[in-house]
Amino acid sequence: MNRRNFVQLCGSAGLGLAVPTGLEAVEEPRPYEGPFYVVFNASGGWDTTYMMDPKGVNDINRLYKVGDIVTEGNHKVAPIAKHIKDGMSTEAFFKKYASELLVLNGMDYSVNNHDPCSRYMATGKLDSLAYPTFAALVAGCKGPKCPLAFLTFGNYSATGNIVPMARIPYLNSLNLIANADGVGGNDRSPYHDAFVTDRIEQALAKKSEADGISPRLPRAERGQSMLYAAQLNSKTLKWVTPFVPKTTPKERLSQQADIALASFKGGVGVSANLSIGQFDSHNNNDPDQMKLIPELLAGIDYLLKRAEELKIREQLVVVMQSEMGRTPNYNNGNGKDHWSIGSAMFLGRGIKGNRVVGATDDKQFLVPLDPKTLQTDAKAGIRVRPEHVHAALRSLAGIDGHAFAKQFPLEVPDAEQLNKLWG
Amino acid sequence: MIHSRTWLFGIALVSLWLDTAACSAAEPPVECTAREPLFADEVWAKIGERTCLNCHNPHGDAAESKFLLEDATRDAAALERNLKAFTAMAAIKKDGASRLLAKVSGTIKHGGGAVLKPDTSGYRILERFVARVDGKTKPFVDPAAFVPGPYFSGVAMATPQRQLRRVTLSLAGRLPTAKEFEAVEKGGVAAIESILDAVLKEDAFYVRLQEGFNDIFLTLGYPGNADDALSYEHFEKTRHWYQKHDFSALPEKDRQKAGWALAATYRKALLREPLELVSHLVRHDLPFTGIVTADYIMVSPYTARGYGIFDSVKDKFKNPEDPFEYIPAKIKALKDRSNKVQPSATGDYPHAGILTTFQYLRRYPTTVTNRNRLRARMYYQHFLGIDVMALAPRVTDAAAVSKKFKTPTMEASECVVCHKTIDPVAGLFRDYFNEEGYYGPRKEGWFTDMFGPGLEGVDLPKPEGWRSLQWLGQETAKDPRFAVAMVEHVYYILMGRRPLPAPLDIEDPLFTPKRRAYIEQRKAIHDIAEKFAKDGFNLKYVFRALIASPFYRADGLTEVAKHPNRRAELDDIGLVHMLTPEQLERKIEAVFGKKWGRLASDDGDSKFALLYGGIDSKEVTQRATDPSGAMGAIQRIMANDVACRNVAVDFERPAAERRLFPGIEPAVVPDGKPETEKQIRAAIVHLHEKILGRTLAADHADITRTYELFTAILADAKAKKGLSDREAYSCQADPGKHPTLDPHYTIRAWRAVVTYLLRQDDFLYE
Repeated sequence: MNRRNFVQLCGSAGLGLAVPTGLEAVEEPRPYEGPFYVVFNASGGWDTTYMMDPKGVNDINRLYKVGDIVTEGNHKVAPIAKHIKDGMSTEAFFKKYASELLVLNGMDYSVNNHDPCSRYMATGKLDSLAYPTFAALVAGCKGPKCPLAFLTFGNYSATGNIVPMARIPYLNSLNLIANADGVGGNDRSPYHDAFVTDRIEQALAKKSEADGISPRLPRAERGQSMLYAAQLNSKTLKWVTPFVPKTTPKERLSQQADIALASFKGGVGVSANLSIGQFDSHNNNDPDQMKLIPELLAGIDYLLKRAEELKIREQLVVVMQSEMGRTPNYNNGNGKDHWSIGSAMFLGRGIKGNRVVGATDDKQFLVPLDPKTLQTDAKAGIRVRPEHVHAALRSLAGIDGHAFAKQFPLEVPDAEQLNKLWG
Repeated sequence: MIHSRTWLFGIALVSLWLDTAACSAAEPPVECTAREPLFADEVWAKIGERTCLNCHNPHGDAAESKFLLEDATRDAAALERNLKAFTAMAAIKKDGASRLLAKVSGTIKHGGGAVLKPDTSGYRILERFVARVDGKTKPFVDPAAFVPGPYFSGVAMATPQRQLRRVTLSLAGRLPTAKEFEAVEKGGVAAIESILDAVLKEDAFYVRLQEGFNDIFLTLGYPGNADDALSYEHFEKTRHWYQKHDFSALPEKDRQKAGWALAATYRKALLREPLELVSHLVRHDLPFTGIVTADYIMVSPYTARGYGIFDSVKDKFKNPEDPFEYIPAKIKALKDRSNKVQPSATGDYPHAGILTTFQYLRRYPTTVTNRNRLRARMYYQHFLGIDVMALAPRVTDAAAVSKKFKTPTMEASECVVCHKTIDPVAGLFRDYFNEEGYYGPRKEGWFTDMFGPGLEGVDLPKPEGWRSLQWLGQETAKDPRFAVAMVEHVYYILMGRRPLPAPLDIEDPLFTPKRRAYIEQRKAIHDIAEKFAKDGFNLKYVFRALIASPFYRADGLTEVAKHPNRRAELDDIGLVHMLTPEQLERKIEAVFGKKWGRLASDDGDSKFALLYGGIDSKEVTQRATDPSGAMGAIQRIMANDVACRNVAVDFERPAAERRLFPGIEPAVVPDGKPETEKQIRAAIVHLHEKILGRTLAADHADITRTYELFTAILADAKAKKGLSDREAYSCQADPGKHPTLDPHYTIRAWRAVVTYLLRQDDFLYE
C-alpha cells in the first residue's frame, strides 16, 4: 500500500488521523477556531410547561394560571421566579436571551422511555444503536485532528466510531494532561531533551507508516491509526492551559462549561455534551423542577457569559434539550410521568432568535406543523420528530453532505425538511 | 396471562450461516434455491428473519397461521422449509395479486397489520421474489459479485507464544514464566490448555473476573455508604457494628482514625459481596446458574457482623480477622423492629443468587411509578442477554395512547407488546418495593393495574409467592438464553467489547457481509453456550472455549483484504482492544516489576482512571474504547514516566538481575564494529520481546528502526555541546544518594527507546 492509499484508508475509517507529512518534520496541527457546538441535556425529562411552553390551564400547572404567563418578544414564558431559591428563573433567562432564542414546541419523541428517547434525541435515529450523537458527528466532520474534538459529560454519547469520546471530569484534569512531555506537567523540566523527543516522534511516524503497508486486521488498522492520531494530536493540548480558570465554580454545569470553553478557546475542541440529571420528577414534580430548571438555565447563562469573556460567543451554537416532557397531569405522588411530547431551544451562530416554531394545544398534545411554512397545520402538517431537527442541525452545521453524515442517513423526505427552521 | 415471548424472540433472534450444503437430498420437490442470493440474502435475511419470524413461529402471536417459519439457527434445512413457505404464500393469488404482498402491505387482513409499505426496499425485495415464483424472472447470480469464502480464510492466528503471553497478561496480569514458555515451545498451542487451567486458579484471575463482572453488574456503584445496603428496619443493631468496636488497646489519639479505617474496610468488604459470589462459583467449579439460584450469600468476618451472623459462622473462616475472606452463609428470614418476620417456609431469607442481594437491589432501585420495571429490565439484560430498551418500537402518537386508555400498559397494543413481558418480572421483585433495595412489600399489596407476577406466559405459582425471586432464578437457569448471556459476558470480559449486534439497515450495501460476521459470531457463541450448559455451567469452560476460538486467536492477515465485503466480514475479528486503566497498570507491573500507580490504585482512586476511559460504576458506566487526545496525552505521560522510573534503576542492578538490559552496559556505544552493533541489536530484541511481546530477528525492520533511533540520538548528542553528563535528575536511580552518570548519553538514549516502545499499540492494546 502506498502512502496515498494509507492516508485514504485512514480517512475512510474515520480515524481523525494526523498523518505525518514528512518523516523529518511533522506538521503542527492548526487550532480549530469554530463554530463550536454545545448540547445541553436536561436528563430525565424536563417539564416544558414551566419553561418555554407554558399552559396554566386544565390543571397542568399548580404553580401558576394562564393569566400569569409572561411574554418576552414572541415567546411565552412560564412564571417561576416566585418558586425558586437558586439559579436563574425562566423569566430572567428569557428576558436576557429571548431575542436570540429559537423555541421548538410540540416535538414528538415517539416513545416514552428514557433510554430510547435519549438515544433518539441525541442522534435523530430511534431504531439504531450505531448512530453518533450530533455532537460527535459534527466533531468528527469538523475537527478530526482536535484532541478533545468531542467532549462529553454524560447522557447518551455514542460516537459511531467516527471520533473518540473525551471525558474530562475535572477542570484541573486539563492541566494534568496539557504538557505530557514535562515531569509533573512542568514544561521547564522535560523528560527528554528536545532533540530526543523529536527523534522519538519521527521514529513513531516511521513505524506508523510502515504499519500501514503491512496486511492487518481491520480492527488493528483502526486501532493503530487512532492511537497514533491520539498521541500526536494530544500535543496541542498545551494550547488549552492559558484558558483554564484558576478557580473552579461550584455548580456542576458551570464546571462542565469551563472545561468545554477552555478546549474551544484553546482550539482543541469542537463540541461538548453538557448534562445534568434528576429531572425525572415522578414524585413531587414541582419542587424538583423548580430546583433543576433554574440550575440548568443558570448553567446555560454561565456558558454564554464566559464565552463572551473569552470572545468566542459568536462562534457558539447551543442546543438545549431533554429526552422527554412530563405529563399534563399530576400523579398521586404529586409527580408527573413521562410524556412523549416536548420542546427544544436553540441559540447561536446562524440561528435567528425571537421565534417560536410549533405548538402544543391546551391539553399538551402536539399540533402538526407545515414543514415549509413552519406554521401549525392540524390537518396537513407533520409530526415533527427528532430526525427532522437533526437533519436541520446537520444543515446548519454544513455537514449534511459530509461522508460521515451520509454514513448515518436520517431519511427525512425532502417535503418534510425544516429548511427554514433557523430563519 | 397473555403469551409474551414473541417480541423477545425477535430481539434474541439468531441465525446460522448456511453453506451451500443446505439443500436436502431427502426433500427434492422444491427447487433447490435456498442458497440462491435472492432468497437467502434478501428475502430471508432482510425480511423473513427480521420481521415475519417474530410472529410466524410455533410460539409466536401467529402460531395458528398456516404460514409458519423456523429459526434457521440450529437446523440447516430450515432455510429450505422457509423457502417452501414463502413460495407457497407468494403463489396464492387473489384478484391477480400475490397473497404474500397483500399480507405484508396490509391490503388484506393481517394480524400484524401493514408491516411493509409498497415503496420500501423490503417490499421491493418481496416483489422480485414473487416475480421469480411466477416465472417472470430466473435465478440469477451476478458473476462479478463478491463470493464469500471460508470465514477465517487468510486470517493468521497468534503463535502459541503470543497466545500464551496474551492469556497470562489478560487473565493473571503477569508475563508467562520460563517454564510456561518452555512448555509452549515444546508442546505448541496444545500446551496452553493446561497452562490456562492453572491460570484460572490464580488469585489474580479472580481480580480480573470480578472487575469484568462489575463492568456488567455495576454493583460497586450503588449509592450511599456501602453499609446503607443493610436496612435500619432489619439490621438496626448490627449494621454499624464497627461503631462499638473496642479500640481501648490503642492510644486515644489513634482511636478515631482506626475507627474510620475499620468502617472503610467493612464497607469495602460489603461492596464486594456480590462479586465474591461470582468468584466463589467459578473458583469451586460450581454451576454458574448459582448467580441466580444460590441459596446463600458470600460473607466475610466483617460483613457477617453487619448481618448479625458472625457468631454462627465464625468457625468456618480460616482467619476470622481477615475482612476479605468470604464464605457462603445464609441469613434468617428478616425480622423488622416490630418483630414481624418475613414469610418463609424454611425460616431462611429466600436467597436467589445475586438477585436477592441488597447490593444488587440497591444498585437498581425502584420508585412508585417505576414499579420495579428497571429491575426487570436489568434482569433481562444481565441474565438473558436482552436489552429491552435497545430498540423500542415507535408509537404513532404515544401521548394520545397514554390518554386514550385508563391503563395503557395493559390495554394499548403499542404498550402491551413490551409490558406483558416486563411487568410480570417486575412483579416478582414485589417484596423489595423501595428505593433503598431493602425488603419491604407494598403496603396495599402489589399493583393490579399491571400484568401480574410471572415469567413469559407463566404466572408465579401461589405457593412460590414467598420466594418469587428464587422461583425466577430457577426458571432462568432452565432458559437456554441464560447460557448464551453468560457466554456473551465472558466474551465482553475477554474482548473488551460486546458481541456484534444484528445489522438492521437492509439498505446498507454491506448488509450481507455484516450479517455474515454477526451470524458467524452468534454461531460460535451458541455452540459454546450449548456445551457450557452440558458441562454443568462451569464458567471456566467458557473462558477456555472462547480463548481457543479463532475470534480470540486471530492476530493478523496473510494478505490485504481489499474487497469492501471482505473487510466488512472481518471488521470485528481479533482481540485488538485498548487496555483499560486497570489492565494497563497490571501490564506495567508485569513488565517492569512495579506499578505505575497513576492509572489505577487499590482503593479505586486515581487521577487518570476516568480520564483514561475507566468507569466509576455510578455515573460513568461505559468504558471508552478508542483513545481521545486526552488519553493520547496520558499514554505519552505514562511512556515518559515509566521509562524515567525504570531505565537508570535497571542499569544500577547487576546484569543478571536486570529486567530490561541484562545483556548490555551503558558503556556500549556504536563504534562501527559489527560485534558492537550485534550487541546493541540483541538488547533491542530483548526489549521488544519484554515490552511488546514481539519475538523478532535482529535484522527485522522494527529492530532496525529502533536501532536507528538509538544511534541517531547518540549521534545528535555527540554533536551537541553543553549537554550534561548525568541522567536527568528526576530519572536517576537514586538521586538522593548518588547521581546517575551518563557520559555517553546512552542511558538517556535507552530511556528514549523504552519510551518509544511504550507508546506503541503492541503495549497499549491487547
